[in-house]
Amino acid sequence: MSQRSDVYRTSLLGLLSPAIVLSIWETAGLLGWVNPILLPRPSQIVWTLVELVANGAVFPPLLYTVALFVVGYVIASILGVTIGVAMATSETLYGVLEPLVEILRPIPKSALVPVLFLFLGIGKATMITVVALAAVFPVLISTFQGVRGLDPVLLDTARTFQTSRMRTIVSIVLPASLPMILAGMRVALGLGLVLVILAEMLAGEDGVGFRILDLQRAFQIRDMFAWIFVLVALGGGLMMLFDLVERRLVPWRGKT
Amino acid sequence: MSVAGTLEGTSRKRTAGSNRRRLGKRVYGVVLIAAILLFWEVSSRLGWIVSAYWPPVSQIFQAAIVQLAGGDILVSLAATLRRAAIGFAVGSTLGVALGILLGRSKVLRIALLPLIEIVRPIPTPAVIPPLIMFLGVDDALKIFAISLATFFPVFTNTFAGVATVDDTLIQTARTFRTSWARTLLRVILPATLPAIAAGLRTATSLTLVVAVVSEMIAGSSGIGYYLVEMQYALRPDLMYAAVMYLAITGYTINRLFLVLEARLIPWMGKT
Repeated sequence: MSQRSDVYRTSLLGLLSPAIVLSIWETAGLLGWVNPILLPRPSQIVWTLVELVANGAVFPPLLYTVALFVVGYVIASILGVTIGVAMATSETLYGVLEPLVEILRPIPKSALVPVLFLFLGIGKATMITVVALAAVFPVLISTFQGVRGLDPVLLDTARTFQTSRMRTIVSIVLPASLPMILAGMRVALGLGLVLVILAEMLAGEDGVGFRILDLQRAFQIRDMFAWIFVLVALGGGLMMLFDLVERRLVPWRGKT
Repeated sequence: MSVAGTLEGTSRKRTAGSNRRRLGKRVYGVVLIAAILLFWEVSSRLGWIVSAYWPPVSQIFQAAIVQLAGGDILVSLAATLRRAAIGFAVGSTLGVALGILLGRSKVLRIALLPLIEIVRPIPTPAVIPPLIMFLGVDDALKIFAISLATFFPVFTNTFAGVATVDDTLIQTARTFRTSWARTLLRVILPATLPAIAAGLRTATSLTLVVAVVSEMIAGSSGIGYYLVEMQYALRPDLMYAAVMYLAITGYTINRLFLVLEARLIPWMGKT
């Protein structure tokens, strides 16, 4: 896992192979080895991208997608951690919720997208629900495993000092299981993004996913690639942000 | 790191007594589900929620049985599973191979890791539209998309796993002048197996998601296509029933995986 952060410390050597691939792609386009309509040259794509950013056209769909994603992700994280902790600390709640969670969890969440469209109609609420549904289970399960895997001495110590249940959870259970919670949230981040893009593609009114499929169907390939690059930047940006937050919150991660 | 594991994974060490108590507690959960289903049925029958998309549960179960008898759901499911299986096999083989090679060779790491890291954050649905132009809308496209989605978790876990292999093992192999290929196969691969298994497990759940996604965006068969078709045909009962079958499939695969893992890698989680 620690190698991953090394990559972001982009050394010049690391830029070498992407540069080679890009220049092969560029020359292949220039020499007409590939159909320029199907695969525009990187320089053309970059130019389109620059235009998109310069005239501001990139921002409304990007913000739309980000807003949907963030709201769904935050809801999922809060729900996942709350239910995960509840199930791990209370046998009764475990009994009540475990069968329900085990029934809902294995459903591939992408299959729920058309169901939710029928059910909630097409709109922002549906998109947010889709993201939240996809993201909640990884968070829930790794929170549960994190809390269950805690050193019993920690909890016994709290009990010795007659710490209240609430206080034990807030100041002992949550901090100690934070690495696991974050591991779940990392998985949820990728899944949530997949689902928001899918939902936008299937019935979007706006957003990056909608743009990509719309432009492909309109055969505006250069613009489509530019939007895919926007999406790559979005995905990469979110991942980096996550790494940053994680390193700040759990500085001891990967060092034990 | 077994994020995609089950809730039960950690309870294995518990005593039989607490297991029995747990089973007793689980009755409440079953009651809860029954209550939800009952509420669903009643609310639909009595018209509390007036919507064509809110069919009573009994109607969905009925649809599920008719669907199963008709056989077309099995055909769709089989088409999806076939693609998922091929994509999974290709993606995970490449993931393990590249994970180990890149983990051991600095040259390959410098050459390939940046490229992999660039492609990794792309959400899978986004690669489908451009790929349609090159691969068409047939199996090649879907299998490619599934392999891609499978590849990343397997690769990341394998790669991280190789890094944690005890150096003494490798030194020992070198002392005995074991060849490079043999060291990879006989020393590094087995030592990385638990990490690989964790990656594979994450990948199994992703595989099914992406199989359905690709069929929805560019489908002509399979369960994803079926779902979208039923959405347009305004047959929510058949849709819910299909989701149910998909859930059963997902659950079975996960179970199967856990059984295989316990059988094949008995040292999993014991180090």
